[in-house]
Amino acid sequence: MNLHLKIIVAESSVIIRTGIVSVLQQLNLNNAGISEIEDPERLRNLLNRQKYNILIINPVMLGFFSLQQIKKDSANNEMKCIALQNSLIDNAVLKNYDEVISLYDSVENVREKINNLITISESATNNESLTAREKEIIVCVIKGMTNKQIADELCLSTHTVVSHRRNIAAKLQIHSTSGLTIFAIVNKLVELDEIKNCQQR
Amino acid sequence: MPKLKIGKYKESDSMSNLICQNYPALLVLSRFEMKLGFKDKSIGEVCHDNNVDTKTFLAIINLLLCDDVNHNCSNHSLFAPSLILYLHNSHDYFVNYRLPDIREKLKNALTQDLKDLNKAVLYYFDEYVSEVRKHMSYEEKTVFPYVRSLIEGRKKIRYNIGIFIKQHNQIEAKLTEFKNIMIKYYETESTNEIDNVLFDIFNCENDLALHNSVEDKLFVPAIMELELKKPDSAL
Repeated sequence: MNLHLKIIVAESSVIIRTGIVSVLQQLNLNNAGISEIEDPERLRNLLNRQKYNILIINPVMLGFFSLQQIKKDSANNEMKCIALQNSLIDNAVLKNYDEVISLYDSVENVREKINNLITISESATNNESLTAREKEIIVCVIKGMTNKQIADELCLSTHTVVSHRRNIAAKLQIHSTSGLTIFAIVNKLVELDEIKNCQQR
Repeated sequence: MPKLKIGKYKESDSMSNLICQNYPALLVLSRFEMKLGFKDKSIGEVCHDNNVDTKTFLAIINLLLCDDVNHNCSNHSLFAPSLILYLHNSHDYFVNYRLPDIREKLKNALTQDLKDLNKAVLYYFDEYVSEVRKHMSYEEKTVFPYVRSLIEGRKKIRYNIGIFIKQHNQIEAKLTEFKNIMIKYYETESTNEIDNVLFDIFNCENDLALHNSVEDKLFVPAIMELELKKPDSAL
């Protein structure tokens, strides 16, 4: 599964930060997007705007912000947090993190740790094949039906429809109706004349 | 053999070296309406000859090359009229040249016997282009006039750059999705034409991302600074 992985490295020392980024690049993580940031304030702003899969951060840099607070503010519970340890740090602090990378880890150590984290988050959320119900919903969506109409048609609650749609978007990585249309035609879920928006053209 | 460049470009560096070492910089030149054929002139001289603010030019070049904004120097006193010229020409490039060109190539690259699918593919692309058009025309019709009024020191078009920040979205995201869908689901022989159009889309995606980051990292801070100045002392 080649989901585009987004990693952010937060560390104030440019030498250490660049070193970590260079190690990450050696891992060939299917063209992962790696960003760097040097101070906690800008980190918080960035996390508000963008979702990352993995945050690698020097716990010392957080200062008086707590990790939980950062996670909460960013509204991204899925994000895995790795502590970047370059000095002695209280174990009570470290146990809040999903993983710890030490300055003396080898490239292979780092690879293993990151792989473990990705596999956990993938198996939790991802399974590309759609259920029959999800396919039905795709067909309704591309016919231009609203969530309410879909709910009535399939005897579901609107809430359930919304959560099906969210799962579909996560599985296929397709967020637009016209993208779903292409998917549905390729997979023979519909014929073109069944679809309103294309018909009008 | 041009000297290898270490670090950021400066006013005194040679313009032809800049281009030869970083050909995407050509796009920046054309958006500032700068002419080619600059012999051995420096970046500063070429900018001066073409009435382009050198600092603004360099800020964009260095953003393009190192994805970095210089936080130390007060880079925010960039010259807003130059930025507007750049952004306006950039909009024109995407909407009237780049995207129509990609559409043409896309149409020719699609496999003949997949009629229904092709319709849906072109529909997606057209819908995307019209979103880009809308996004850019908002900036042309609302944001730029506001900024011009700030520059001229007659405030009070009722607007502020905060509104722009809030609703400014990443327009390349949907193009990325399109590209992924094509690669994953469009079953076709791998032809030169399809490669060509996919290369173009990859490039266009990067160009759009740069365009966005010029807006977010250079334009917005420059306008925030203008807003702080009193209307009558503005530029």
